[in-house]
Amino acid sequence: MRKYLLYLILTISAFTACKKEDDPVFDQSPDARITAALNKYQQELVNAPYGWKGLIFPKGVPRSVFGFYFQFNDNNRVSMLADFDAGTASTLKESSYRLKALQQPCLLFDTYSYVHLLSDPDAGVNDGAYGAGLSADFEFSLDSISGDTIRLTGRFNKCEAYLVKATRQEQADYLGQQRNRDFEHITDFLTYWKRLTAGGKQYDIIINKSGHIIRFIWLDESGARQEFETGFYYTPKGVAFAPAFTDGGQTIAGIENTSWDESNQLIRGTANGENVTIAGFSQPLAPEKEGPRRWWEQGRSLSYWVAPFGFHSNGVDDAFGLETLPGYYFMGLWPQYDGSPYDLLGFVTVEGNEAALRYGPAFREPTFSADGRVGFTYYGYLGTFPPDQTPITRTRLQLTDAAGYYLVQIGPLAWDMVSARDGKTWITWFK
Amino acid sequence: MKTISTLLFCISLALLAACSKEDDLGEIEDIPGLGGDTWTPGPLDHWLYDTLTVPYNIAVKYKWDQFEFELNKVLVPPKEEKVIPVMSAIKKVWINNYIEEAGLTFFKKYSPKFFILSGSASWNENGTITLGTAEGGRKVVLYLLNDFRTKDMPGYEPDDSLNVKQMFHVIEHEFGHILHQTIMYPQEFKQISTGYYTGNWNNISDAAARQDGFVTAYAMSAYDEDFVEMISMMLVEGKAGFEKIVNSIPPGTSINGMSQADARARLRRKETMVVEYFKTVWKIDFYSLQAKTRKTIDQLLY
Repeated sequence: MRKYLLYLILTISAFTACKKEDDPVFDQSPDARITAALNKYQQELVNAPYGWKGLIFPKGVPRSVFGFYFQFNDNNRVSMLADFDAGTASTLKESSYRLKALQQPCLLFDTYSYVHLLSDPDAGVNDGAYGAGLSADFEFSLDSISGDTIRLTGRFNKCEAYLVKATRQEQADYLGQQRNRDFEHITDFLTYWKRLTAGGKQYDIIINKSGHIIRFIWLDESGARQEFETGFYYTPKGVAFAPAFTDGGQTIAGIENTSWDESNQLIRGTANGENVTIAGFSQPLAPEKEGPRRWWEQGRSLSYWVAPFGFHSNGVDDAFGLETLPGYYFMGLWPQYDGSPYDLLGFVTVEGNEAALRYGPAFREPTFSADGRVGFTYYGYLGTFPPDQTPITRTRLQLTDAAGYYLVQIGPLAWDMVSARDGKTWITWFK
Repeated sequence: MKTISTLLFCISLALLAACSKEDDLGEIEDIPGLGGDTWTPGPLDHWLYDTLTVPYNIAVKYKWDQFEFELNKVLVPPKEEKVIPVMSAIKKVWINNYIEEAGLTFFKKYSPKFFILSGSASWNENGTITLGTAEGGRKVVLYLLNDFRTKDMPGYEPDDSLNVKQMFHVIEHEFGHILHQTIMYPQEFKQISTGYYTGNWNNISDAAARQDGFVTAYAMSAYDEDFVEMISMMLVEGKAGFEKIVNSIPPGTSINGMSQADARARLRRKETMVVEYFKTVWKIDFYSLQAKTRKTIDQLLY
C-alpha cells in the first residue's frame, strides 16, 4: 500500500513539476508590437520628403482606378489632390487622418476629403450607385511597406490601394499646378472609333471616362481579335495605366505630354519615349463578330433595351430631338415584341402619373452579317403617333440605314450601337 | 494511514504552491486606443469644446467612427467646414431657445449629450433616406451635413431649407422623447387617435395622415411618436405653419372615413394637450418657445 502511495506521489510530482518560463512566439506583447507598427507607419507617412502618390481601385467599378497626391503631417492633417475632376486636381484640400489599431494597423481618412468622393453614397457625386457610391473605401488596413510602396486594403469594401513615395520632381509637378487633362478630349472626337498608334501597332480604344477605364482592342499576328481592359488615371503630364497595358510584345504604362488637336481630330502624346497618336476612324479595327447577336439575344431575354437619349450624331446628343415629343419618357427596343415576329422601337410617355408604351415603328427580325454588323428593315407601326412625327421618323430612317451597325458591350447590361456608315452616329442601349 | 494522508496532503500543497509563477501583463499602460481616439486638436476641436462641451456637457463627434453608425450602411464623414455652421445653427434654434424658456439647469439636465455627425444621408433599402436617429435619450446621429446650407452660405437654394428643417425636426423630436420619458404625458392623449395607429405608416403620405388627424405619417406609428411629432412639427413650422397644416386638410372624408372637421378637431386637441403638458410639467410657455424657435429658423433660412 505504502509503495503504491509512493508511486502515486512520484507520478503527481512528475506532472506538477511545472515549467515556469513563458516562451511566447514574439518577444514583445501584442500591444507593444501594434504600437511599434503604428509608430513606424506614422513615421513613414510623415517623413516622406516629397509626399505620396496614391492609387485607389474602387470595388464597385472593376478595373477602375483614381490617382491622388498626399502630404501627411504629424498633427493628424493631410493635404491632397485627386484626379477626380479638374477642380480636385488643382485645389489642395486639407482634411484629417489618423492611424488606429483596428485588428490591424489602419489608416483612416476621418473627415471628408477627395478620398471620400469615391465612397459617397450620393450617386450624384460620383456616378455610382445610390446608397453605395463606387464602393470604395476611406478606412484602410496598412498591409505592408516594401521599398517606396505601402500596400493598403479597404476595411469596408476591401478595395485595393497603394501609396508610393513621390520624387522631388513629381512633388514639384503636382504642387506647381501642372495639369494635363487633354486626354479628356477623347469624348470630343466626332467618330466613335478612336485608334491609338504606338510602336508601329494599332489599337482601338474604348473609354469609360467617368469610370477611368480604358479598353484596348487589336488584332494579333495570327489575326485573332484581342482585348485588354485596365484603369487609367491622370498625372501631371498625361495619363497612366494601372496596371500597364501589354499586348504581349509591347508594354505601355501611360501616355505623356498629351495634347488635343481639335481641327485634325487628333490626340498626340508620347509613350515609351516615342510619339504616339490617337485618331478618329469611321470603322473599327476589330469588331466583335458575335456582338450584334449577343446584344439582340440579351435584349430579348431582358424583354427590352432602353435608350432615353436617342441617337448621338455628328457630335450632337439626342440628334433627332426625342425630348421634344409630348410627355416623352424613354425610347426602348423590344426584340420580338410580346411574342410577335417583329422588333418594336417603342416610345414610352407619361400621361397623368402613368408611364405607358403608346406607339412606335416595328422592324423585321434583324439581319446579322458575318463581319459583325446588324441591319434593320422597316415593317410597320403600332399605336397613334403624336402630330409632329419628325423625331420618330428620323430615328426610324437612321435605324434602317443599310450600312448597319456594330455593337460594343460597355457594361454587363449596356451596349453601344455604332453606325457602320461613318462611325459618327451611335446610340447606347442599357437596362 | 493518517500520517500518510497528511504527508500526501502536505506534499501536494507544496507542489502546487511551487507553481506560483508571476505572469507579466506586459506594458498595460501603453495599449493603443485605450481611453478613446486621440488626435492633435485643431481649431474645430477647440470651438466645439468651448461652445458645447464646457457650457452644456455636450460632445460632438465629427471624425469618422464606423461603430457609431449602422454597420451595413455606406456613409461618409462630414466636411470639416460644415461642422461649425450646423452646430451653431443647432445652438441658435434648439439650445438657446430652450434655455431662454426653461432655464440652463433644465437644459443641462435633460439634453442629449452626444452628437454624432455623418456627411451623407443614410440610404435605406427601399430608396428612402434617413436624416437623423437617436438612441436612449443620450446619443443623436445627424446625417447629410455635407448638404447643409443656410441662406448666408454660398450656393443656397430654397430646396436646401428642407434639409436644414429636417435636422431641427430630428433634434426637437428626440428631445421631445426625453421629456415624455422623464414625465409621461396625460393618458388622454393616447385616446385622441385610438384605432388609427398603424405599422404601415411608411406607405402613407403626410397629406393622407393629416386627413386622419395626424401631423405627419410617422406620427401614425405610435402614441409616443405622435406626441413628439406634434412637438417637433409645431416648433419647427411655427404657429402659422401649423395653422397651414391644419387648414390643408381638404373637405370630404379620408379613406378611413374621417371627416375634415373631425381630423382638424383631433389635431387641435393634440395641440392643446402638448401646450398644457409643457405648461404644467415643465413650466414652459410652449407658444413662446414656438415663436422663438420659428423666428430663429426664419433668420437662418428666409
